[in-house]
Amino acid sequence: MVDNKQQWKAWIYLSPAIVLLLIFTVWPIFNTVRMAFLENYSGLQAAGGKTFEFGIQNFVKVVKYRKFVSCLKNTVILCVTTVPISTLLALLIAVALNSIKPLQKILQTIFFLPYVTNSIAIGMVFAAMFNIVGSFYGTENEIVVTAGIVNNVIEFLGGKTINWINYGSTYTANMIVMIVYIVWNALPFKILVLLGGLQSINKQYYDAAKVDSTPRRRVFTHITVPLLSPMLAYVIITGFIGGFKEYTSIVGIFGENMGPADDAGRLNTMVGFIYDALETNSQGRASAAALILFGIILVVTMINTQVSKKRVHY
Amino acid sequence: MPNKDNMTTMHEKDITKEKSRQKVVKLFVQVMVYAFLVAMAIIVLFPFYWMIISSLKTLDEYRMSVPTFWPKTVMLSNYAEAFTTANLGRLFVNTMIVGVISTLLSLVITVLSAFAFARLEFKGKDLLFSALLATMMIPGELFTITNYSTVTQFGWMNTYTVLIVPFLVSVFYIYLLRQNFMQIPNELYLAAKVDGTSDLKYLWKVMVPLALPTLISITILKMMGAWNSYIWPRLVANDEAHRMITNGLRNAFTDTTGDVNYPVQMAAVALVSAPLFLVFIFLRKYIMAGVSRSGIKG
Amino acid sequence: MKVVLQNLTKIFPSRNKKVKGEVVAVNDFTFEIPDGKLIGLLGPSGCGKSTTLYMISGLQKPTSGKIFFGDDDVTELSTENRGIGLVFQNYALYPHMTVKQNIMFPLQNLQGADKLSKAEMLERAETAAKLVQIDDLMDRKPSELSGGQQQRVAIARALVKMPRVLLLDEPLSNLDARLRLQTREEIRRIQKETGITTVFVTHDQEEAMSISDMIVVMKLGVVQQIGKPQDVYDDPTNLFVAKFLGTPPINVFNGRVKDGTVYIGEDAVVTGTDVSDREVIIGIRPEGFELDENGPLQCTLSNVEVMGRDVSIVSKNDASVNPVIRSIINSDHKIDTTVETVRYSVKLHKFFLFDKETEERIYFEVK
Repeated sequence: MVDNKQQWKAWIYLSPAIVLLLIFTVWPIFNTVRMAFLENYSGLQAAGGKTFEFGIQNFVKVVKYRKFVSCLKNTVILCVTTVPISTLLALLIAVALNSIKPLQKILQTIFFLPYVTNSIAIGMVFAAMFNIVGSFYGTENEIVVTAGIVNNVIEFLGGKTINWINYGSTYTANMIVMIVYIVWNALPFKILVLLGGLQSINKQYYDAAKVDSTPRRRVFTHITVPLLSPMLAYVIITGFIGGFKEYTSIVGIFGENMGPADDAGRLNTMVGFIYDALETNSQGRASAAALILFGIILVVTMINTQVSKKRVHY
Repeated sequence: MPNKDNMTTMHEKDITKEKSRQKVVKLFVQVMVYAFLVAMAIIVLFPFYWMIISSLKTLDEYRMSVPTFWPKTVMLSNYAEAFTTANLGRLFVNTMIVGVISTLLSLVITVLSAFAFARLEFKGKDLLFSALLATMMIPGELFTITNYSTVTQFGWMNTYTVLIVPFLVSVFYIYLLRQNFMQIPNELYLAAKVDGTSDLKYLWKVMVPLALPTLISITILKMMGAWNSYIWPRLVANDEAHRMITNGLRNAFTDTTGDVNYPVQMAAVALVSAPLFLVFIFLRKYIMAGVSRSGIKG
Repeated sequence: MKVVLQNLTKIFPSRNKKVKGEVVAVNDFTFEIPDGKLIGLLGPSGCGKSTTLYMISGLQKPTSGKIFFGDDDVTELSTENRGIGLVFQNYALYPHMTVKQNIMFPLQNLQGADKLSKAEMLERAETAAKLVQIDDLMDRKPSELSGGQQQRVAIARALVKMPRVLLLDEPLSNLDARLRLQTREEIRRIQKETGITTVFVTHDQEEAMSISDMIVVMKLGVVQQIGKPQDVYDDPTNLFVAKFLGTPPINVFNGRVKDGTVYIGEDAVVTGTDVSDREVIIGIRPEGFELDENGPLQCTLSNVEVMGRDVSIVSKNDASVNPVIRSIINSDHKIDTTVETVRYSVKLHKFFLFDKETEERIYFEVK
C-alpha cells in the first residue's frame, strides 16, 4: 500500500535533484542528439534565428576531419598502452604489498599519494622533470643549460639525452612522457581496488595451495589472478572509460598547446576535439564527436564485459 | 592414484637440503619483494620530492647542468613570488567559495534524494532509480556541450552560480548514500513513526549520524573535485574574479617547456597541492573508502 | 610412515590487544602416530585439536616442541615440502576450477621423482574420482555440487598425489546425518585401501570411535587420554573423558565411600572396595545397569523408551548430577511401566569412581 502522503512527500524530497537533472542531464542528452543531426549546427547562428536541416553531415565531417583522426589515434594509443601497463604494475604492487607485514601501511599510503593530486599541477612537475632548459633546436652549437632530471638520470646510466617535450621533439618521445605520467596517475586507484580484492580472498585457498606444494608463480597465475578477476575486470573497464576521456593530463604537461611548441595540437584527444569544436561555436560537430566518443566507450565496455563473462570467475 | 598393487606414497624429499633451500628462497623472495616495492615507492614519490626541492632552489641553481638533490640556498621567497604572480590568494578564495557552497548544497540534495529512494514508497520509484543509474554511463562531455549553451542563455557566464549549480546532483553519491541508508534497519524508522517523529527530524537525528562516514567521503570527494576541476571552469568562468585554482595555475604559467622560471612555478604547484595533502593525511580513511567504490576522480 | 609429536606446544597471543596474556592452544603434546593408522583427534571446540592438525601440516608453526615424519625432523620444513594431503573443514576447493582441474592441480605441482606425464595425471585423477564416486561430476564447478559431493572432491584432491600423511579437519561437519554415516565409512575404506597414515579432527565422539584405530581426547590444549576407542571408552582416565565418550552419555552421581562401600544417597551400590573413606563422583554407563528386584540402587521411574532391540529406561535419583538417569536394558526383560520405583544393580566394569576434587579416576578392587 502506498499512501498518498508518502507519495507527495517523496516527490518533494526528490524535487531539487529532479529539477537539476532535467535541466543539466536529461535535456542535454536530447539536445546533444538533436544538434548532432542538424547540419552544421552552430549555437551562435541559431541564436541569430538561422534554422538547420536534418542530416548526418556533422558525423561525416568529423570522421573525415584529419584532426579528429589524429585525436582518435592519440586517444586509442594512450588507452591501449596505459591500461595494460598500469593494471599489470598495480597488480604486481598490490600482490607484493599484500605479502608483507612490516611497512605495509606506510607503503600503501605512499602508493595512494598520486591520487590526491591535481593532474594539471603535477603534470607541470613532470614537464619540469622532462624539460630541457636552454636553446634546444637540434642545431650543432646549441647550449643546453640543464637537460632536466630525467635526462640526467639517463646520462648517468650511460644513455643519450632525449628531447622529450621541447621544440622539435618527436611524437614517440611525447607519447612516452604521456604514458609515464598517465600510468603514474592511474596506479593508486588500481592498487587500492586490487589490494582490497586481495585482502578479501579467503586465506584457505592459499593454505590449500601450500598443501598442494604449488610453486609461487603458479599460485599467482592459477589462484590469485582468477580469484581477483572481478576486481581486475573492474579496474580494466574503468581504466578504459577513463582512458578514452583523457585530456587534462596532457594539458598538465603540454599546456593548452596540446603538443610541443612546434606542433600544437599533435597530442590532442577526443575530449580536446570536442572542446575545441565547442569554443568555435560548432555545437553540431562537437555533439557528433561526443556521440561518437559515447559510442566507442559503450562498445569497448561491452566487449570488456563480454570477455570478462568468459574469463571472470565470480 | 596408482593401482592397488602399485601403492607408493610420494617420494621423500632430501629434508636437510630442502630446509636450507627453503630458507634461502624465502629470504630471496622477501628481499626481491621489498626491493621492488621500495623502488616503485621511490618512483611514485620522486615527482613530489623534485617539486619541493626545485621550489626551494634559486633559478641559477635549478639551471645547473649537474642537478643538485638538495638546495644550496633555501629560497622561501619563491613561494612569496609564486603567490603574487599567480594571484593565488584570489584563486584560493574563489575555489573555497565554490567548493564549500557546492558541497553543502550537494549534501542536502543527496541526503533528501537518497532518503526518498531508501525509505519512502512512491509510484515509479524503481524505474526512476534505474533511469538515474543509466545516466552514469554517459560521458560528461556529452552534457557539457548543451550545458554550455544553457548557462549562456541563463546569463550565468562568469558567475559563481555557473560553477556551482550544474554539478550539484551526483547520481553516484545518491546511489552510494541510498545503499548506506538501506542498511539501517527499517524498524528504527517505524519506531520513530510510532513515536510521532517527523521524517526530517528522523533523517537528521538518526540516519545522518549513522551514515556519517559516507557523508564525509562525499564531502571530501566533492571538495577535491572543486579543487581539481579544470575543463568546465575554463569554459564558463575564466575571468579574474571567478577563476578557480587549477585554471589559474595553468593560466599563470602557460609555458611548460623552454626556459621557464621553474622554481617559482614549482612553488606555485606545491602551494596548490598542499591543501590536498593535508586533507589526505588527516582523512585518508574516508578518501580511500569513498574512492574504492567510485572509480571516479573527484 | 609414522608421525611423531614431541612436546608440541602452541601459544597464541591474546586476540584482545588491550588484555595482555596468551592462550595455550596445545600444551606439551607427545604422541607417536603409528604407520598406516587412522587417528582421531577428539575434543570439544577450543581444545586444540585443529591447531595440532595444522601444526602437523606446517600451516602453523609450533611455539615449542618437534614434529617428526618417520625419522626426519620436519618442524622447520614448510608445508610445501612435507608431502601431506589436507581436507579443510570448508573444503577450500578452488572455486574457479572444475572438479577435474581441482583434483589435477596437486599433480601438476609434483616435481622431481614424483613428476607425472599428462596421461598418468589423468589416469590418477580418474582413479581418485572413482574411489570417492564422483567420476560423473568431473566437469562441474564446486558451486554446482552439494556439500557431500564437495567433500568427496576435497578428499580426492588430498589423496590423488598419494600424500605421506593425510589430514582431515572436521571433514564431516557440513554433511547431513545419512551422508555423514556413509562418508565416514568411505573414509575408513579409502584409508584402509591406501594405507596412508591419517589424522582426523572431530568433535563428534561417535564419529571418532567408529572409524579410528586410535583416538586422542583433548581438553583445553591438554591431552586427556590416548588409546584404542574401546579401551578409552571402557577405561577412561578421568571424568571428562568418561563424559565425553558414549551415547547416551554416562550417568554421573555424587556419592561417597565409607568402610569400602560406595553409596549413592543411602543406597550401597557397591560393597567391599579398597577405597578409603571420601566423597566421590560416580559414573555408570547406561549399559551398566541391571534391573534387579533386590538391587541396591533405587530410582524413580519416569518413562520407558523402546528402541527396538534395547529399552531405554529414564529414571530419577536425587544424587544424580544430570536431571535424569538413562539406562539401556536388553528388551528381553519384561518391564512393568506402572511401578513408581525401579531397582538396579550395577555391572562393575561399567562403574567408575572419580575424585571429587581432581576428577581423576580412582581405581579400585573389590574384595
